Amino acid sequence: MQTAFKNIRRSPYQAISAIFVVSITMFIVAMFALVSVASQEILLTFETKPQIIAYLKDGHTPDQVNELLTQLSTTQGVKKAIYISKQDALELYKESVGNDPMLLGTVEITAQTPKSFNSISSVLERSEIVSTTPQGKKEIDFPQDVVAELTKWTNAIRVAGLIMVAALTLVSILTIVIIISMKISGRKLEITTLKLLGARNFYIIKPYIQESFLYGVSGALIGWLTAYIALLYSTPFLSPRIGTIITFPVPFIIMLILLGGMLTFSAALALVSGFFASTRFVKRSK
Amino acid sequence: MIDFSHVTKTFPTGEVVLDDVSFTVNPGEFVCITGKSGVGKTTLGRLLIRDLSPTKGTVKIDGEDLALMKTRDIPRLRRKIGFVFQDYKIILDKTVAENITYALEIAGYDSKKIPARIDQLLHLVDIPGKGDLFPSQLSGGELQRASIARAIAADPPILFADEPTGNLDKETSLEIFNLLKKINEAGTTVIMATHDVTIINFHHARHIHLEKGKIAFDRENVKSQNVEEEVKEQPSPKDDEVKIIHKKRKIKKIKK
Repeated sequence: MQTAFKNIRRSPYQAISAIFVVSITMFIVAMFALVSVASQEILLTFETKPQIIAYLKDGHTPDQVNELLTQLSTTQGVKKAIYISKQDALELYKESVGNDPMLLGTVEITAQTPKSFNSISSVLERSEIVSTTPQGKKEIDFPQDVVAELTKWTNAIRVAGLIMVAALTLVSILTIVIIISMKISGRKLEITTLKLLGARNFYIIKPYIQESFLYGVSGALIGWLTAYIALLYSTPFLSPRIGTIITFPVPFIIMLILLGGMLTFSAALALVSGFFASTRFVKRSK
Repeated sequence: MIDFSHVTKTFPTGEVVLDDVSFTVNPGEFVCITGKSGVGKTTLGRLLIRDLSPTKGTVKIDGEDLALMKTRDIPRLRRKIGFVFQDYKIILDKTVAENITYALEIAGYDSKKIPARIDQLLHLVDIPGKGDLFPSQLSGGELQRASIARAIAADPPILFADEPTGNLDKETSLEIFNLLKKINEAGTTVIMATHDVTIINFHHARHIHLEKGKIAFDRENVKSQNVEEEVKEQPSPKDDEVKIIHKKRKIKKIKK
């Protein structure tokens, strides 16, 4: 490791450029991971709170309501179904709006996944107590389109993020390979001498692999720190918008897990690059 | 035992450097290989560490044919042979101690014992306290001694010294020669390749002389009693060079 530090001290600009590129990659990785987790959380919120609201006709009896609730509870994909009477609805509405509108009793159904919406909807379509619009349609609300749209966006973010991370990872690998190759070719005489003294290839390449490992680790730490600072800085902006879905500030343990993942990824990336660059050169030299 | 059997080495240019060379070196022997520059002395050394392979014939060390050796076993072979290079091959941006450390680390020396071993080696080659100096801070003789210290650092059973006195004045050459003799007396097989026959002609040593890639003679020399005086009395090339430089400077001054 001492030799690796010496190599870095000898050519600091090369080391800075390698660390800089790895840091940018790791920052993007961190941001992508955070956005990915956040969008997953948002999607999960919509998916686990998929509510279908069926408006009931006036004059329905408690028996009819119980019959519908029983029917729904045996339907696949129904997580929960509750009856909100006209009076309950009025109370809830008054709490939020303070008005006295015309309201209908409702049955609010929480589905397990948005995929269950169709089967639940067909049960409600057949029910007599579910209110009908003047056009003859049953008054049933469900946010299927919202979830579908959100899923589409989440997937798009994931694909774009993965492409960006892959491209930056490739750039980082190439940068480390070029820098290590430059350093190692500058020490050709030393390597030849070491080989003549009986050094094994691993002994020769070890300091270079350690050096690229240091690039990886430093890059991961800088990238993580920058991402964390950016996240803390944007917390006042994000908290009122998605604060009900995601906890702000993001718990430190989550950030530590992220750091662990980034260090592993970055170290692996750097080790592979360093190994590739140095082995290639050492094998070619006598 | 080192065994060169009918070794021929032809370079890709078609130049035959060694032509049907055969000789054996027994453990503990001190062998001087002499001949003009380009006669194949260095090639013999390179064949010995499998830096080159013979075009014809075999090179064996302790019965092991080096040509049949797998690439992954070459480092093991090289660790058995200390090599003093003609151009020293001392790493310039490392101190003397760091250069020796390399050899010790390669040999798998215990890192805790390395500083003590370096001190011991520097005393042995007579440059004590110079471990922290860089090669550029050493004289030619000191550099050669550092190179020998590195070569014998891990106690190899064989030492090949390629022109160890090539760039040195007579007095220092004699000191280096005596140092190699001392190493040989400690049990190391020493092969010294040199074009300088002045020193070895007066010493008891096996003398193999090469001419045009062939062995011209292989004999035992008998030590002369007055060798050291005889050698010291001869003007060293370095002294001559210094005189020439001074003369040139004087001429320049006069011209100005």
